[in-house]
Parts: sequence; C-alpha cells; structure tokens
Amino acid sequence: MNLKEVYPDCDKLLPRLIAEQKKNGFISEQAMKKISDETKIPISRIYAATTFYANLFVRKQGNYLIEICNSPSCYLNNSLDVIKELEKLLKIKSGETTKDNKFSLHIGSCIGCCDKAPAMMINKKVYGNLTKEKIKEIIQKCKS
Amino acid sequence: MQILKKTNLKALEKAKKLGSEKIIALVSKKGLTGRAGGGFPTGKKWQMVKETPANEKYVICNADEGEPGTFKDRFILENNPETLIEGIMIACFAVNAKKAYIYLRSEYTSLKPKLQKTINEVLKKAKSKLNMEIFSGAGSYVVGEETAIIASIEGKRGQPNLRPPYPTTQGLFNKPTVINNVETLTNIPQLVLFDDWKDLKLHSLSGCVNKPGVYELPIGIKLKDIIKLAEPKNKVKAIYFGCFGGCLPYEQFKEMEMKQENICKQNCALGSSTMIIVDETKSIVDIATNIAKFYEFESCGRCTPCREGTMRILHFLEEISLGKATKEDFETLQELAWVIKETSFCGLGQSSMNHLLSALQYFKKEFEAKLK
Ligand code: SF4
Ligand code: FES
Repeated sequence: MNLKEVYPDCDKLLPRLIAEQKKNGFISEQAMKKISDETKIPISRIYAATTFYANLFVRKQGNYLIEICNSPSCYLNNSLDVIKELEKLLKIKSGETTKDNKFSLHIGSCIGCCDKAPAMMINKKVYGNLTKEKIKEIIQKCKS
Repeated sequence: MQILKKTNLKALEKAKKLGSEKIIALVSKKGLTGRAGGGFPTGKKWQMVKETPANEKYVICNADEGEPGTFKDRFILENNPETLIEGIMIACFAVNAKKAYIYLRSEYTSLKPKLQKTINEVLKKAKSKLNMEIFSGAGSYVVGEETAIIASIEGKRGQPNLRPPYPTTQGLFNKPTVINNVETLTNIPQLVLFDDWKDLKLHSLSGCVNKPGVYELPIGIKLKDIIKLAEPKNKVKAIYFGCFGGCLPYEQFKEMEMKQENICKQNCALGSSTMIIVDETKSIVDIATNIAKFYEFESCGRCTPCREGTMRILHFLEEISLGKATKEDFETLQELAWVIKETSFCGLGQSSMNHLLSALQYFKKEFEAKLK
C-alpha cells in the first residue's frame, strides 16, 4: 500500500514532530491534535510515532537537554565517572529533569563521536574527551 | 585518503555522457559493495531498481550511522559532503529517480546546516532540478535497517518490516527505492572518474587506544596491522566489531586477514569495519553487560524474544557482575541467548547476542569466575 495515497502528508509528520520538540521541549497532546487536524493523520498514529523515538518526549524537557553516551567506546574511556559527576552536579538521574526545568539528563547510545570518547551532546552540540573537570566547567557555564 | 578526493561534478558529467546502462555496468565492474555492513553489490541494487517499472523512484542516502564505535560516515559528512552529494545525483540519474533523501541521524543534527548549504551549492552549480531533502531522524538505532528507514520517513514507527518485498521493488511509498550508505555513495563519483580507484574501506578504530580515528585501508589487511595504527594503550585482549559483530581474542587472531568470509567463519561479522579495542585492564563481563544494556534500550519492542529477551539477558549479566548468579542462571543465560538469536524478527534481535555468544566462546572463564 502506498501510504501517501491515504495520508498525503505522511512524510511531513516526523519533521513536524521534531520541530515541535525543538520549539516547546516536548510534544503535548494539544500539539498532537493540531498536527492531526492539519495533516489528517489520526492522533493514534502520531502518538505511536512520537513514543517510538528516543529524542521525542511527551513530557517537558529542560532547557539544556543533555544526552551522554554510554556505549562501549565511551564506556571503555570511563564514561561512568563522567556520568556520576553529572548526576552529582545536577542531582538527577537519567531520564529526569531538574526542578528548575533547566536540565534534562539522558544516558543513551553511541553518538558517533567515539574518537572523542567519552562524549555527550547538549542540545545536539557535541562535547568530547570529557573529564570530571570539564563537566564541571560546562555545567557551570550553562548555569550562569 | 582516496575518500577525500573531490570530483567537482566531473563524474556526474561523465555519467551523463555514458548513460545509465553503462554507468551501472561500470559500478558493477569495479566491484563496489555496500558499506553499511551487508556488502550487497551496489551495481546490482541499482540495476534492480532501474528494471522495476514505476512512475516514481527514490534514492535514500542512509546517514543513520548508529552502530556503536562507528563514525566514518560522520567523517565523510564533515570532510567531503560535495562528493557524497554528487554520488547521490549519479545514483538518481542511473535509476531515474527525481527525489532523493538523506536520512540524517539526529545525533548528527549539528552537521545539518553545512550539509544543506553544500546541497544547495552543488545542485545550483550542476543546474540540477533534482529534489534532495535532508530528513532528520529522532533517535533510534533500529531505523538504520532499510525497511525501518522507509517506515520512519513515511511517518510510522521506525520498525523493520519483513522482506521480501525488498525496497528495490517496493520501497518508499511502495515505489522502487535505492538505499545506499554514505560511504558507498561517496565512492561512486570517485570510481567513475578515477581510473586508479581502489576498493578501499574506512575503518573506525576506538576504545583503549591513544589514536582513535578513521583509517582508510585495503580489504584483507591483517588484524594486527590495523590495530597498531590506533596505538593501543596496553596489551590488547579483544576486538569488538561494533556491538552486533561480536568479538575475537586478539592474540589468537591477530594474523587473520580482515575479510568478511574469514570473520564469518568465527561466527562474527565485520560489518562496516568498526573495531573497538579492549585491553587487558578491562573485564569482558563488564563489556557484555554494557552491550546488553544497549540492546535492551534499542530493542523496538515489536517481537517478544528480543523485547523480553534482551531485558532478561541484561538482568542475568548484572547478576553475574555482582557475583550473585548461580551456575543454573549461567546455563539459562546461554540457552536464552540462542533462543533470541534464532527467533527474533529482525536483524537487531538476531545479532544482539553475537557479542555474548562470542564472548562466551572465548572468554567463558571470566564469566565462570564470577559465579556463586
Ligand atoms: S528483533 Fe528487536 S528490534 Fe527487531 S523487530 Fe523484534 S523487537 Fe524490534
Ligand atoms: S561509543 Fe560513545 S560516542 Fe560512540
């Protein structure tokens, strides 16, 4: 079946969801309803797609979305130390958001920066060769 | 490096002069195979799409590089996007596609502005009417699989589908579709234009080494000659071919020529020449647990053996790490690993146990030493 014949805008869905995530930090039910009205794609399908991806959220994320890699190359280069430092500084665990809504932390899969391991992204900007000291500096900068 | 050579639209010009038949024949003759891991002959794939009658056809450049330890496509996107774009244009010409997508993983979002700019410039310079769109992913390892990439663009959950039908006949929007990897497509203009083009492959080396990076090497070079380039920090214990490719003990296999068939014989897979170097200071049980976590996280949840199995495997491995597992647990772990491998729906689940099964084959003692 050619899905385009049923939902002509089907290939616009993921770009819309990514834009919404970027703009509001999450994809609310209202946002899904609106996208559904405009694209004529049933909201159930929109919810199904949204919840599939690790970078789309149905709960509001902090201003600084931190994604830190814990796949093997980073793991072998002591990513766990860096992760612990982050958890200590932010007082949250993976999947959580700070009370002031400033930071969200996600431990995830390889971000393709294994030559700069351990590595992380904050709002998709890459920080590599991380150490505890570097982490402190970076978080300090975000806070100020 | 050959992969960094620019072709400045001269290859496209040549391709247009030759015509689509001849260009496909040339790609086949030079023996280019898919660089995403499968190793399917590129010319043959194009031929299948060309032969399938349809009013519309598509080309998708797979830039959803997600295999842990792999960063060679990123290297190309950063350093030679012009030639990649020219490769996509040649692919479109060869199969008569009017629309191309570059499926860019979300982790590479920072590369998007420059890539978009380069697309605009190259298309303008070539006076091309081709519609080339960067399509961003949203974080999913399994989407790298070709049927899943199609599902993702179509706005569905990015889950794999059964093949056949293959994308070459019923792909995106049910139309014949070429899906090629970044490295594959970048090789196209180079092999079209340069008579001295060689079948070289990019290797991503990382892990316990001083010089991680992308190395361009001929196919079939000895393992030890690859590994020494990255300057291991200590005595090397094992090499992991990404997560899905499994592992080999270094000392025993260092003289082996790195060819797909040699590695397959050892129940491993070379994939896209990803090598994660593990030295004597690290525990294989810890790495197995780390990789198990990766699969548990990335399992898309569609089928039971992979969804439930990866979770149970992780649990067992954590218990072993903590010294809490019994002999019976260990036996169940091994049996379960085989069940997952044999009964999972797609490549992710089927290959998710390679690392564990090979670790059990070569480093069983490390596991046993931790049992209760
Ligand atoms: S094997 Fe895993 S990734 Fe593949 S379909 Fe099943 S649950 Fe999804
Ligand atoms: S393993 Fe961490 S970036 Fe690849």
